[in-house]
Amino acid sequence: MPKLIFQHTLKLNCSFPWLICVLVNLLALNTHAQTIPTVPKQVSLSADLSVKELTISWFGGAASTFDLIILRTEFNTSVFYDTISATMNQASGRHEWKWTSAEPLECTSLSVRIRSRDGLATSEWSKMDTFPGRDLPSNNTLQMYPHDRVVEVGSNMTFCCIVKEGKTFKEMLYGNTVMNVTRLSRRSYATTLVNVEPTGVSGSNIVCRLEDLSLDGAVMFVGYPPLPSDFVCETQDLKSAECHWKEARDSHLTGGRRRTRYSVNSRNCNVDLQLTCRLPLWDGNWTLMAENSLGHYSLSDSAELIHRVRPVAPVNLSSVVNAWNATVMWQWTYESYFTLDLNCQVESTNHESKTLHVFSGVGLRSVKLSGLHPDQAYTVRVRCGHQKYFWKWGNWSQTFSFKTQTDVTDPPDVWMWMNKDRTGLVVWKPLGYQQSHGRVTGFEVTLWNPEDVEQHTQILPPNTYSVRVNLTEMASLGVNKKVFATVVVKNIKGASPPSRVPLRFIDEQPLVLSKPVFTNNRLFLFWQQNATNTCNYLVEWLDTSCEHDCPVKWIRVAAGSTNVSIESENFKPGVRYNFSLYSCPSDSPQLITRWQGYTQELVPSRSVPLSVKSQDSKVVITWGEIPLSDRRGFVLGYNVYISNGSELALLANLSSSEMRRYVVKGLSVGNYKFTVKSYTSAGEDTGSTASITLEPFTDALILEMLGALGTITILLIIVTFICYKKRNWVKKAFYPDIPEPKLPGDWSRLQGPLDVRPSPHSMVHIVEKPERDFNKETLVVIPEEEEYFEKDEPVDTDEPMSLRYYNQVVDDRPIRPRFPDSSASSASSLDSGHTDVTYTGIQTSGSSLVFQPDPQGSSEEQPPEVVLYDGGYKPQMHPKVLSDDVVLKSSNPFQESEAASSVGYKPQCSWHLDSPTDTAETSSLAPSLGSPTSVTSTQFLLPDGDGDEKNKQQPSSAAATWFSNLLLSSKP
Amino acid sequence: MADRRTRSMKNSNLSRTAVNRASMIALQLQGESSKLLELYRQKESFPADATDGRLVLVPPSSSQLDTRDKLWRLHSALLQTQSLLERAITKEEEELGGGIKGEYENQRKTVKGRLSFLLLTTGNLLKAVDGAASLTPSLEGLELDGPATLFQLKLWLLQVFSEVHHWSKAAVTTLQELLTNAADERSSTTRVRSTRSARR
Repeated sequence: MPKLIFQHTLKLNCSFPWLICVLVNLLALNTHAQTIPTVPKQVSLSADLSVKELTISWFGGAASTFDLIILRTEFNTSVFYDTISATMNQASGRHEWKWTSAEPLECTSLSVRIRSRDGLATSEWSKMDTFPGRDLPSNNTLQMYPHDRVVEVGSNMTFCCIVKEGKTFKEMLYGNTVMNVTRLSRRSYATTLVNVEPTGVSGSNIVCRLEDLSLDGAVMFVGYPPLPSDFVCETQDLKSAECHWKEARDSHLTGGRRRTRYSVNSRNCNVDLQLTCRLPLWDGNWTLMAENSLGHYSLSDSAELIHRVRPVAPVNLSSVVNAWNATVMWQWTYESYFTLDLNCQVESTNHESKTLHVFSGVGLRSVKLSGLHPDQAYTVRVRCGHQKYFWKWGNWSQTFSFKTQTDVTDPPDVWMWMNKDRTGLVVWKPLGYQQSHGRVTGFEVTLWNPEDVEQHTQILPPNTYSVRVNLTEMASLGVNKKVFATVVVKNIKGASPPSRVPLRFIDEQPLVLSKPVFTNNRLFLFWQQNATNTCNYLVEWLDTSCEHDCPVKWIRVAAGSTNVSIESENFKPGVRYNFSLYSCPSDSPQLITRWQGYTQELVPSRSVPLSVKSQDSKVVITWGEIPLSDRRGFVLGYNVYISNGSELALLANLSSSEMRRYVVKGLSVGNYKFTVKSYTSAGEDTGSTASITLEPFTDALILEMLGALGTITILLIIVTFICYKKRNWVKKAFYPDIPEPKLPGDWSRLQGPLDVRPSPHSMVHIVEKPERDFNKETLVVIPEEEEYFEKDEPVDTDEPMSLRYYNQVVDDRPIRPRFPDSSASSASSLDSGHTDVTYTGIQTSGSSLVFQPDPQGSSEEQPPEVVLYDGGYKPQMHPKVLSDDVVLKSSNPFQESEAASSVGYKPQCSWHLDSPTDTAETSSLAPSLGSPTSVTSTQFLLPDGDGDEKNKQQPSSAAATWFSNLLLSSKP
Repeated sequence: MADRRTRSMKNSNLSRTAVNRASMIALQLQGESSKLLELYRQKESFPADATDGRLVLVPPSSSQLDTRDKLWRLHSALLQTQSLLERAITKEEEELGGGIKGEYENQRKTVKGRLSFLLLTTGNLLKAVDGAASLTPSLEGLELDGPATLFQLKLWLLQVFSEVHHWSKAAVTTLQELLTNAADERSSTTRVRSTRSARR
């Protein structure tokens, strides 16, 4: 008794008034304890498994409050424990209470205990009563609960699986989803689906699998209770009722026994095909009951019969047909319709155009359809409704077809095209099916004038829509007479009323051509209202480029109109059309206005004819017009491009179609490509390209050259003038007077240049004698072989083709025979057939002007001591070297070589003209003097005996030596 | 020997073309029943290993069986399968049918038609082998005791479709065997004749 203990504890801590209260309470408790509630007896458990409801009943005496505990028997876990109120059934004297389980009651055994409660007083617990589950050992099969359950969308649903004894549970699956599982007992497992979704016709499976792959399962159907709507009843036979309704919501329960069942006024309805129920009599009030596993729904309707008449479809349609109308007849299935006030629709279809005719009448059974066209096939069908209390149109009858009779055709729509030469075309439009009224057999065209009786008639076959006329061939029609053409169409019913058109060349051309408006695939033409004009109008159009026998098109416009719109299907894109508005087209057509334009502009189909030419340093690009038929739009201007490699660079945009010339300036010499593209509102054409090559400006070049030449000439003149003015100085500086050589004997023969022709096989070698000082100057002669290979070297042609000997200063550098001054001259000496020897200095027998005898013997100025040769020409020996002593000394080493070259040139050192002994030798030199080898020397070859003379002339030759050195030093 | 000769004569009545044709039909049925099985498994979210056990009862297959017995066994199995399939379709329509017919229903109809055609063909083969013997294989054991639950009905349907697939495969195998045997017999006959003519 914890409460008691709790109250005793209070007594100890409270004050006196509280103590009194506690004592009063204890007294009351003792009084109750004396009346303990009776223990519930004969507890009985029963279950409604479909709703998982457990009904518990017991004998509970007078108590109305009980404590109830429900346990899962096997695991002894509580699933319910609460104090409940239960009333006693007066008849049976038993208390009863219902409990709904979350799990199916088959899942596991449940045990129940009850005790009575009277305030705080409770009885003992009743004996435990058990509701056996299907997981008892005696039920040793794999089971799943509940089976085939139908639940509403959004519900929560618990399933349990009872495994076989000794088997191991694996999983529970909902579709392909593995579910969370709760173990209820040793063999029972449960899972709960929350907020279930609608299932398909065959429901959804919850599968229980064991480890040994055996399985069982349950099927669950999730849907909605029925929800019918639009429930109405009507009559067709004016006796019975036919009720219809719809399902406002898919119940998702359409399979097997789960589908919704319907009844009207308690009569079951077969709703396999449609939601309809037939009742043999008109009740006036109807109740529809819809019911399925999840619930039921009812709807009511009430109406008088006359208000709910939906006539049956007329049957047995027939017709009486004329050319322009037909009478359609039908019959009614029920005689009661003969007195019914009906409203009927007759739908006639002709060439896919539908017309609805409405008729009214009591018991209507025939109607006359007017507005039909002759020789046309029609299909009609009929339906009716009650005229006064219209409820719904009845069903359409079966279709019925007939063809109207033929009639004469309508007058044709005729127009003309006249050329300037009084020839032309009379044209008419093909007759549509609504104008021909029967098969056309031909046309009759008559030309006539009002003043003459004579007519020219022409019969034309069908499918002819124009005829060529030549008024000049018809003399009777006259030149200035008013001529008309009349066209009549013939069919099997006869000739149509005639259509006439005056044949006249209309040559007025308005000054200004407007452009038509083209929007929304239609072409709009507007014009001013002419109050005086009471005739109709005619709008004619044709290709602008056409001039003779043009295939004109036209449309007639009612008098008083100020605009017309024409379908764009009549026109081709990119074609320029002339639109002409005529008044009184049938009597005396007058041109009111004219438009010109395109329904759709395209880019030009042809490019401009292009030409490019240069003019001075400019390039002038000119081009011509594109032919009208190729423009395909109004040319708005031209774009001029220059080709920049593979790309085009815009040079100019000429926004006028009249500008067809463009000048490009500032171009340098080179090749250029120019492209000109015309453009319309649709864009540019592909363009024409022309190229041009700009040549250099030759006149300017010549002028430049002349200017340069003039400048040079002036400079030369100035230099010449200066030189002339300073000639004395120049002469003194560069060409001092050279003393006349004084020679014994006749020297006059040698006044000209010395022509020395070396022997073809002569070789000149430079030999530096070891016993001589290496630094001494030596006479250098270039070997022939090297000279030969130097032929290609540039040769200073200004130099005389002479063999030149230079007394080169032998320095540390090696001798370079390739120097032009030596090699080239040597080469030329070999090649030339005639050689001049120029004496730019006087060389005495003992010394030269260049290499002055230097007693002190400056090593740099020493001439080459020895010159060897294979034959032919022998170089001049230095005068000093060529002294008698030296010659004697040096002749020995050369004796062998001289012997070897017994034929050939003798050294000039032995040239002593004055010596009679040498005369022979001198004469023997004569051939070599005439040889083609040229020797150019800056030294004069003088006899040895003139040594004194040389000394005398030394001062005068100093200037020449200086000049010679200057020339040498100028060489590279 | 007499028996063999008789059988051989009977077997010669078995047109190779007819057997080949039946084999082709069986092959078609095999593919179609496989697809039906797959569609049904998808529709019901059944695991691939959700079925076991045989519904059709026939004597066990043996290499000792002659052509007639093989054909009889096959034809009997197919008859039982057809009976099962028709009942399965009816039961399914009753308990689970309704609504719009989809691919599964069309495939089911195709398989039913193809199975009937195969049965007709195998019946003709059996007649060719065994004369005008009446073919009324026993349908005992095929009675459905009425599945206790819709889930069991669905499992039974799965079993029936599996049986159709199984026996279509068996039909292909059996008919191919018959074709092979016929070819062997022809070659051996040719060999015997050539040996005899050589001896002469």
